[in-house]
Amino acid sequence: MSDPKGKVSVTEDGLLLLEKAQKDHIETVWDRHAAQQPQCGFCDMGLSCRVCNMGPCRVDPFGEGPQTGVCGADADIIVARNLCRMVAAGAASHSDHGRDLVEVLENVAAGKAPGYKIRDEAKLKRLAEEYGVAVAERDILAIAGDLAQAMMEDYGMRRKKITLASRAPAQRQALWEKVGIMPRGIDRETSEMMHRTHMGVDNGWQSLLVQALRNALSDGWGGSMIATEVSDILFGVPAPKPTMVNAGVLKKDQVNIVVHGHNPVVSEMISLACISPEMLDLAKAKGAAGINLAGVCCTGNELLMRRGIAMAGNHLMTELILSTGAVDMMIVDYQCIMPSLGKVAESYHTRMISTSDKARFPGMEHHEFHPDNAKEKAFDLVKTAIANFPNRKSVYIPVEPQAAVGGFSIETIVGALGGTPQPLIEAIKAGKIRGAVGIVGCNNPKIKHDYGHVTLTKRLIENDILVVDTGCVSVANAKAGFKVPGAIEMAGPGLKEVCGSLGIPPVLHLGSCVDNVRILVLVSALANALGVDISDLPVAGSAPEWYSEKAVTIGVYCVASGITTHLGPMPPITGSMNVVKLLTEGLEGVVGATFAVEPDPEKAAVFLRKHIEKKRKALGLEARSVS
Amino acid sequence: MKQVVVNPEKCVGCMQCMLACATAHSKTLQLFTAVQETPRPGARVHVGAGRFNEGFPNRCRHCDPAPCQLACLTGAISRDAATATVLINPERCINCASCAMACPYGVIRFHEDPFAPPGQTVAVKCDNCGSRVSQGLVPACVEVCKTGALVYEEISEVMKAKTRQVARCMSAGAGEATLPDGVALIRAAKQSQLAVGTE
Amino acid sequence: MKHLIIGNGIAGLNAARAIRELDGTAEIAMVSDERFPPYSRPMICQVLDGSQPHAKLPLYGEDIYQTLQVTPVLGARAVALDVDARAVRLADGRQLDYDRLLIASGADARRLKAPGSALDNIFYMRTESDVRRQLAAVGGVRQALVLGGGLVGFKAAYGLLKQGLPVTMLITSGYPLAMQVDATAGRIIQEELEANGLSVRVGVSAAGFEGNGRVTHAVLDNGERLTCDLVVIGKGVLPSLDFVPRERVAVDLGIVVDDCLQSSAPGIYAAGDTAEAVDIARQKRWVNAIWPEAAVQGRIAGQNMAGRRVRYPGSLSRNVMRVYGLDVMTLGYANPDTGEGLRTVQSGGKDQGYYRRLVFRGDILVGAVLINRIEQGGVLRALIENRVPIRVPDGVLMATGFNFSKLLH
Repeated sequence: MSDPKGKVSVTEDGLLLLEKAQKDHIETVWDRHAAQQPQCGFCDMGLSCRVCNMGPCRVDPFGEGPQTGVCGADADIIVARNLCRMVAAGAASHSDHGRDLVEVLENVAAGKAPGYKIRDEAKLKRLAEEYGVAVAERDILAIAGDLAQAMMEDYGMRRKKITLASRAPAQRQALWEKVGIMPRGIDRETSEMMHRTHMGVDNGWQSLLVQALRNALSDGWGGSMIATEVSDILFGVPAPKPTMVNAGVLKKDQVNIVVHGHNPVVSEMISLACISPEMLDLAKAKGAAGINLAGVCCTGNELLMRRGIAMAGNHLMTELILSTGAVDMMIVDYQCIMPSLGKVAESYHTRMISTSDKARFPGMEHHEFHPDNAKEKAFDLVKTAIANFPNRKSVYIPVEPQAAVGGFSIETIVGALGGTPQPLIEAIKAGKIRGAVGIVGCNNPKIKHDYGHVTLTKRLIENDILVVDTGCVSVANAKAGFKVPGAIEMAGPGLKEVCGSLGIPPVLHLGSCVDNVRILVLVSALANALGVDISDLPVAGSAPEWYSEKAVTIGVYCVASGITTHLGPMPPITGSMNVVKLLTEGLEGVVGATFAVEPDPEKAAVFLRKHIEKKRKALGLEARSVS
Repeated sequence: MKQVVVNPEKCVGCMQCMLACATAHSKTLQLFTAVQETPRPGARVHVGAGRFNEGFPNRCRHCDPAPCQLACLTGAISRDAATATVLINPERCINCASCAMACPYGVIRFHEDPFAPPGQTVAVKCDNCGSRVSQGLVPACVEVCKTGALVYEEISEVMKAKTRQVARCMSAGAGEATLPDGVALIRAAKQSQLAVGTE
Repeated sequence: MKHLIIGNGIAGLNAARAIRELDGTAEIAMVSDERFPPYSRPMICQVLDGSQPHAKLPLYGEDIYQTLQVTPVLGARAVALDVDARAVRLADGRQLDYDRLLIASGADARRLKAPGSALDNIFYMRTESDVRRQLAAVGGVRQALVLGGGLVGFKAAYGLLKQGLPVTMLITSGYPLAMQVDATAGRIIQEELEANGLSVRVGVSAAGFEGNGRVTHAVLDNGERLTCDLVVIGKGVLPSLDFVPRERVAVDLGIVVDDCLQSSAPGIYAAGDTAEAVDIARQKRWVNAIWPEAAVQGRIAGQNMAGRRVRYPGSLSRNVMRVYGLDVMTLGYANPDTGEGLRTVQSGGKDQGYYRRLVFRGDILVGAVLINRIEQGGVLRALIENRVPIRVPDGVLMATGFNFSKLLH
């Protein structure tokens, strides 16, 4: 921060809790970000390379010093390789999350996962049919077992294309085939990406980036999509439910358990334990009025989507939530869990629990969850959390919770429209809704917390653009009050009319960050209904405060799927203007969409509106000029 | 005479100069062993963050006259005219911090140092790498700087080049220094990120 | 050209050096009542606290007068100045004439006029001999008493504590260093000293001393008797100007000087603790009796005496000290009276491990108090001294990561 007095967040609970944390001598992400300044310019520009041990190397962006690494790779190659490895890491993360769900599905089928079950048989059967698994007159668990096997093959076996890529419009699939980016296997594309970026393999910066597109698509239409679909099968297809958000969802008089991470496998089981009469009785015996489960980050989004479980905050709130002193236990799985949390918790009574065999954290107790022991473990942990309730010291819950509605799966959106996307298309055609933007992604201390999300959303809905959101954005927007039916008052007249008649808010919560694939399914449905490609639609994506490698992969699969995508923070690519130009201009001619970088959400809103009007015009729809 | 010249606009904030400086002022002269030494050697060039978090290699200017020298209570700070270097004698330094109060650039630090009497905290700052230069080497910070932010050049040549550059700038468009596109882009993005939501 | 310099402190020596740099043949004579070689006066504190040996006090080799071709006149105090005759008379009757005179006679400890103050083991804290005698006396002392919570008293108390003595400090104002720091900083410093064995008595002063040859008790103005067997009086300093005829040379608290450090009498200059120049932060005449100003003033006065016109920009009060775990720096007008249209900002506190307070007049920084994180204090001093309009938010100057480049545009 150049100005430490400058507010780091637009959220009231964030600022009040930051003040509390500072009083408690808690070091936060903002302190560490300030301590890291200046951040290395070579790395910031993508010009440092640690790929091999002839290095490390860096290229002088001013042109005087070295212009190639030891191996001879120039700025274009080094920048491309670094970006490609970010895509591979992001794809690996989401897709491995998907794999864990497939393993649970397999264990359920084998009767080895007590507590888990097939909650949505209809969805299981739909998926099975897509995968060519026989459905008719078969036992549901047998179908589940075969589907799990078929999905596993999408990960590992050599195929011409992954199964769910067939969900994309025919034009899009043809384009992928033509460009050579049809994903062939989930693990394969990540593996090949890592191979190609090894020293002395692919040294064409363009061909590297083309593989990055294919790698990202293997996540978007593969691993992530499997994660979402199997989660729906195991835990239910989300439907709109009222919920509450912000730090005020913590309860002074109840045992507060906060789940953090991404995978619903653990958090779902915890949520079951929290509502069991046995545990509730135990809580009462300890003087608590009940057990309050809340989420932060995406595992919270998973629970919110399906159970209406409250969300306490997003990425940059995870440390601050602990500083309430009201969290009796935080249970984490993986991804985006800052390793600082254990240290923060030391200042309070909070018990910190890690649960995944692949994710350990300093200052946390490790209780490993597997499909066969998850139920038992969940009850044990909830018991421990209850026992910790009397150990609370002072508690500070600074705000009242904000109401919100979440749980908009594509199935329920289409259901609400009467079983077909046609009413939405008509509203777009009539110009009442100009188009739609998916605002997704993280928080980043480089950008004022939630300012990017909230400002961009506000500007878009007031200009009749429907906003769908996921991940950390969804919490920001819910806290800002965009997710209640009454929020249509903040929308433009057309969007207000359409959402008002359907009784939905102008901003729809589509889920966690793996659930960005729901956006792919939605735009495919719209494109198919109109008989056009995704890139022809008046839609766009945006990640105003992104930070993670997963976000890079999401951005790349959106663009490769034909959705032009805005990024707030600049990715580490400016060391190669060739790469910058390809990503922001050149891709238009390849996949019909590009990236755009603009930290200021006000300017980004103008860019996105212009983009949507341009697409409308090209479709022969009435278009406005935007300035 | 050659001197270290700082071109701050070329600093990318990688802090390589700090590592090299601390290593050059260690007993073992190797990064991997220098960090194990007791006392741990410290960098004498300090990369700070500017207003937009851009890097800035803050290094002793070896002022003449030097405010730190005038303020020193014990005569521990002197000027070596031959190398235009302001030096601190750790044997005479009493760690009073008067020099820190005098230095308008904030380049003096206080810690134990491999070349100070054992166990004593003393004032430490850039010595122009006298021991390296006497062996025919360039100062350590310059050696590792890959962007030209720190260069070792004939001061008279640098002055002439700067004069020419300023003279050319008097005529619009006649060769003002411009940043490479990528550098300009990342700097604009960083400024914009910091500015977001502050208006 | 004959130059006469009264005083062999840092002001006098830097003047002599500056004259010699510009004029290889001028005659320079230097008068001092101390026979000890030129030494670092502030360093007597480090000698008292035991961190530096007495032997390290001299600033130069014994040949310094020879090197500068200066005629030393030592052990002699100036007693009269004849402006018309351009001559100075010494206590021993000798008369020295001059073309240019520099009065750099320094300051003496302000004397306490109280019954019994001539008893043994009652000291001032001004010269190397004061400290040498204190150190000789500390053995067997059971309770030390320090009068005054200003810089002198404060440093004396710190030194005696470091020597392992129980020390009581009497302060007339509410907290130590009230002239230098605000109440918050004063309390942080006081608590640090108390944690290390100091006891502080606020709002009382000594009215007299008792003892049989050697001091045994102090009698306070409230009638109370305190047992003590060593006393240090730290009541500030006064310029040593007894020999200066006030009707011929304008004297306020110090000698009033112009921006070339020349007094109202042509050819007579003043530098160091005797000179009253304009204080940059306060924007009025002020005696800043501190070492770094003496060093700069001596140099500039010497240059002017040698015929090169060099402007002196004005003085600035400032101080830096290390007190156990605290580093304390004060700059400029750090603790102004209220109601002067000044704005103050502060951050940190005892719990945060640092404290910082800045004082602004409009957009000009005029004062600062820093406890810990003092490395960038010099940047703040330069801002104050050069009256640089501050164009960055206050928070930038207060932040941990503050550095010179935050000010660049």
